[in-house]
Amino acid sequence: MAQYNIEKQLNILDYALSSLWRRRLKSLSVLLVFAAVIFLLASFQMVTQALSDKAGQVLVHTPEITLQKMSAGRQEAFPLAYKEQLAGIFGVRRVVPRIWGYYFDEVRLANYTVIGMDTAEMPEGDRLDSALAGGRMPRLEEAGRVVIGHSIKKGLDLGGRSTFSLFRPDLSLKPFEISGEFSQHTDILTNDLMVMTLADARDLFAIPADQVTDLCVYVANPKEIDTIARKISDALPAVRVLTRPQIQKTYQVVFGWRSGFGSICLLAALAAFVILAWDKASGLSPEERREIAILKVLGWETRDILAVRFWESVIVSGLACILGITAAYIHVVYFSAALFRPVLMGWSVLRPELHLLPSMAAGDILLILAFTVIPYLAATVIPAWRSATVPADSALGG
Amino acid sequence: MLIELSEVSKIYNQGRPNEVRALTDIELRVEQGSMVCLKGPSGSGKSTLLGIIGCIFPPTSGRAAIAEKQMARLPDRFLTLHRRETIGFIFQRFNILPELTVLDNITLPLLPLGVSPMERKLRGHALLERFGITHRARFPAGQISGGELQRVAIARALINNQPILLADEPTAHLDTVLSREFMVIMQQLKEAGKTIVIASHDPLVFEHPAIDRIVTVQDGRINVP
Repeated sequence: MAQYNIEKQLNILDYALSSLWRRRLKSLSVLLVFAAVIFLLASFQMVTQALSDKAGQVLVHTPEITLQKMSAGRQEAFPLAYKEQLAGIFGVRRVVPRIWGYYFDEVRLANYTVIGMDTAEMPEGDRLDSALAGGRMPRLEEAGRVVIGHSIKKGLDLGGRSTFSLFRPDLSLKPFEISGEFSQHTDILTNDLMVMTLADARDLFAIPADQVTDLCVYVANPKEIDTIARKISDALPAVRVLTRPQIQKTYQVVFGWRSGFGSICLLAALAAFVILAWDKASGLSPEERREIAILKVLGWETRDILAVRFWESVIVSGLACILGITAAYIHVVYFSAALFRPVLMGWSVLRPELHLLPSMAAGDILLILAFTVIPYLAATVIPAWRSATVPADSALGG
Repeated sequence: MLIELSEVSKIYNQGRPNEVRALTDIELRVEQGSMVCLKGPSGSGKSTLLGIIGCIFPPTSGRAAIAEKQMARLPDRFLTLHRRETIGFIFQRFNILPELTVLDNITLPLLPLGVSPMERKLRGHALLERFGITHRARFPAGQISGGELQRVAIARALINNQPILLADEPTAHLDTVLSREFMVIMQQLKEAGKTIVIASHDPLVFEHPAIDRIVTVQDGRINVP
């Protein structure tokens, strides 16, 4: 009995394949549109996951706790003297002052992120040089030296030069010399970044010597981050305390939001496709009606005809999945997800040139299958019931 | 009796405004190995009668026993199962699928029976050889001549070796030569033991010497001479 059923299904599968081949133009057009929808969804899923993973890897090097001061919802400088108050909190290993700001380049219409800090003060500060493709981080005494991101160097169009100037708030020029360049592996965070000494950043933004924008707190035991953060909040109620897990979560939310927005747009496209498939599957041409009636007179049951439709849909959707997911992989790996960069990475005019490694769990593939193959099967097999119940006598004459 | 109809009536759309009474109180008996012609003009009810004998649909009332099985009020699925074991069909215009090859058309009834591809090929080729069209096996059916098409239709009706062969106006679109050729093949099949019922109003069919009995259908009733 089992052998009979296997043989029967193989025969029906064989007929479904020949049926698709006979209507190859229609089958091919459905396959291509379906593959395109899956390609878009899979690309989005892959690139979001890859960005999220990449951000997670890079953010491991951020301080465990960061202090900022907010006023009317905007960040502002606060007294460096707060550092002394933190020194007394048990578990705080080191406090490093930092200036964090944004510089708008009116010529290139680009926004640069500027960080001023003395890397020698940071624990493992010497290891930061490993994030550079060349050169080294500026030391405390090295005034006017700066490390820049990959896109800034490209945007400044320096040619063979290693010097450039930025405007202070009073429109006087401040010269800089490039002492190093960030590696492209860290592009997601460093693409539009300039790192200079604390003194240079104060000079560039005209921040007084006793003020900073951030205090980076390093703790002795990472398991106590939350406890120490709470103690800092109690000691300095005027400052905002950000922990590394919170920052990581923020990045995940940002990518999640962007991905969700894009996914909704793509799901709308998928819904349109499924409606079209339903419409096509429920309409029956005279040739199709005649073929079904002939098959029924020849001894085919309604369920055999439904099985043909089912296999046709499985073949089309399976092929579309393979094509769509493969194309998405190629799109993300070899073309750096060129189609979605403006949506997913568009926080700056300088977009990171990332080399993304697609990361896709079995759950993601199942999600794509659930959103594409299952609606397509439903949209084609359910209306096929109507076509499979064409009465056999329509093959007879009058 | 291989086919036995008693007081069979068929009403389409019963109880609706477009109700049509196609057959009324049909009494028909066909012995095994005989050839019967259902004669009558278009719209007389020949195809409906053929549909009931062919287990395509059950009668509205009356008893219909085909190959010793009562067909009346059997669900569609059982009608299909009985049909594919018992009855081979030859349609008007032959109803061949033109995009499929000749061999695939002939073996089409075997697919839902779970017959292996090798077995299908063997049985298909045996019939192609019997009807002298082996050279057309791989041709799309839409590209062969009318005479070859006719033989493909007969071969398809015989592929599962069913005891009953039904033909619905088989010569309606054939010239005289091909019509005569068709009847020669039917005669050979009758001699081989097949029970054949042909619905036709073509004199080349009902006047053929191999026909054992002519049943005249008129306005849904059988006219007894």
